[in-house]
Amino acid sequence: MELAIDRLTKRFGGKTAVDCVSASLTAGVYGLLGANGAGKTTLMRMLCAILKPTAGEVRFNGREAAAMGEAYRDVLGYLPQDFGYYPTYTVAEFLSYIAALKGIPRDRAAGRVRELVDMLGLQELAGRKLRTFSGGMRQRVGIAQAMLNDPQVLILDEPMAGLDPKERVRLRNLLAEYAGDKIVVLSTHIVSDVEAIADQVFVMNAGRFVVHGTVLELARRVGGKVWEITVPRAQARQWQERITVASYRHEGEQAVLRVIAEERPSEGAVPCEPTLDDAYLYSFGASEAGR
Amino acid sequence: MELFALEHRGLWRRTGVRVCAALCFVYCVLWGCVLDYQWLDFGSSDYAASVYNNHFDGYCMIRTYKAQAAACGDTMTERTLRRMVRDYNELGHPGLQSKADWVLAETYLTVLYPDLDDPDTFLPMIYYVDGAELTDFYGRRQQALERRLERERQEGLLTAADVAMLLEMDSRVETPWRYEWAQGWDYAVGSLGGMGRRTAPFLAFALAFVFSWEWHSGTAPLLHAAKYGRRKLALARIFSGLAFTAELFALVAGGRLLAQLVYLGTDGWDIPIQVTDPLAVAPWNMLQAEAFAMAFVFGGMIGYACLVMLLSAWGKSGVRSLVLALAIVYVPDLLEGYLPRWVQSALEILPLVRSANVIYRTDVYHILGRGVWAPYLLIAVPVPIALACVPLAVRQWSRRQRT
Repeated sequence: MELAIDRLTKRFGGKTAVDCVSASLTAGVYGLLGANGAGKTTLMRMLCAILKPTAGEVRFNGREAAAMGEAYRDVLGYLPQDFGYYPTYTVAEFLSYIAALKGIPRDRAAGRVRELVDMLGLQELAGRKLRTFSGGMRQRVGIAQAMLNDPQVLILDEPMAGLDPKERVRLRNLLAEYAGDKIVVLSTHIVSDVEAIADQVFVMNAGRFVVHGTVLELARRVGGKVWEITVPRAQARQWQERITVASYRHEGEQAVLRVIAEERPSEGAVPCEPTLDDAYLYSFGASEAGR
Repeated sequence: MELFALEHRGLWRRTGVRVCAALCFVYCVLWGCVLDYQWLDFGSSDYAASVYNNHFDGYCMIRTYKAQAAACGDTMTERTLRRMVRDYNELGHPGLQSKADWVLAETYLTVLYPDLDDPDTFLPMIYYVDGAELTDFYGRRQQALERRLERERQEGLLTAADVAMLLEMDSRVETPWRYEWAQGWDYAVGSLGGMGRRTAPFLAFALAFVFSWEWHSGTAPLLHAAKYGRRKLALARIFSGLAFTAELFALVAGGRLLAQLVYLGTDGWDIPIQVTDPLAVAPWNMLQAEAFAMAFVFGGMIGYACLVMLLSAWGKSGVRSLVLALAIVYVPDLLEGYLPRWVQSALEILPLVRSANVIYRTDVYHILGRGVWAPYLLIAVPVPIALACVPLAVRQWSRRQRT
């Protein structure tokens, strides 16, 4: 099984949202990282064949996905970034409706709906109308609908948005287990989620993949460049202006900064074990990453 | 089939759709029919300026009107007309605003006996015309019809072949005409014929959002990524919209028919439509006219529903779809008189723009050099419109987005 992205480009008027990106995805979890406007959502919509690329194509097992039509959508699960729903439907009604749209026979759909409701902790909520749900509850329904047809290609745009820490862990485990023989692509702003489950990470900036590799490979890129320094609180702001600061905490009258720098930033700087967060910030600086 | 059932249920569970259907029933059946029978149209009047001052006694008055008409005989001849004129004057001029057939008698007099009109008085002809002068009813009618067709030919509205076609159609109208109280049927057929236009805003509101709402609610990407979320969903949604249209029609037409049976009964179904409009050329009786009006309205609603759903699939804005859908029906009316006649005629072909009362007129369309009597064309046009709209709407919804 292979999902190939071949020189995929999307321009909206004069603005290039996705700029000639290529990749070959096989079974596993792929994390897509990037600031707002980096092109992640546009790329995902093209992967789902709901947005027409300006150039390039997406191929599934060698065939152009858009041309496959129903056959491609049959193996696809998609959670859009702003997950739309029907407020007057209950969870069970909504999932049954989406199951019908996915061509799942009614007798199988009922079992699958129950299974996903259990998996995503929605048992207590199954009979409630969606309009009464919080953002996190609705997000879980969105994830359930994406997984209804047991898709070979699961594309999740910001699946962790609105989930509490416990639900995030539950979803991470679920996706990691699910991705055994399937392709899961997820985008998120929460680097630790990608770090926890992604086999491969793509960092996007200005519509391009600026870096990609395993979490370990990306972290290794910043090996020897991550430091912890302790400075007086009054100097913390000056340090933030001079250097990429990955984190900042107070210890009494002192500020402890985790910084990324090519050279040891001060005499007292202590080298640290790099993380994906550090690699992400290193790729295009704190200001761009947090934009 | 499962998708269709789900879509159909989904459409009906929308509050806006249910409110539309309920309001449509109130407006077209309770207000626009039952209250007309009992109060606004058929209730007795004290010559007040407004129908809202009528008495709430339509059911009894209809029986009175029927009895008055029955006294005039069961065929329409000059003798019947004389009797109508005499009765009207003997009853002390009960007024032409009532639904007795006096107003028909006045129509016959003005259309068939214009030479008896006294230009020096403002009174209706029925007040002063001499019954002895009311002769040769059918001969007069033939002359009046020929005069009208000739005038329309000279104005360029009809060709000589059209006139011959219409006269041939008229030759099949049997004489003498059967006569019974006709105002009830005239109302039933006439108001049913215009029902399609009354339902238009409700249909537009219910269906303008069937596709466009998905963009507003953010569900469109979800649906587009589902296996059957494009062509099959679009088809299921269009057919559920058509089923809704048929149900709305059944609700409204059924309600009106029931009211008609209660208030008017069935007698009078076989009087020719010429009794209510002496220059009509269609050789039809009232039941046939009502059947035509039913088919006309139903076809119009189906064609219109398809157009509305096409607009809904075309754009992402439901409000824009709604405004355009309403414009289809009402803009041709607003522009009447400002457009070239051929443009106006073309716009009138659109579903629900005209009422089924076109059967009383002598309008002819020219298709590939052949004259077609307007009602035949207008009742057929919604079919190709619907057939064209369905694949276009499916295509619009199904295609990949460019932006």
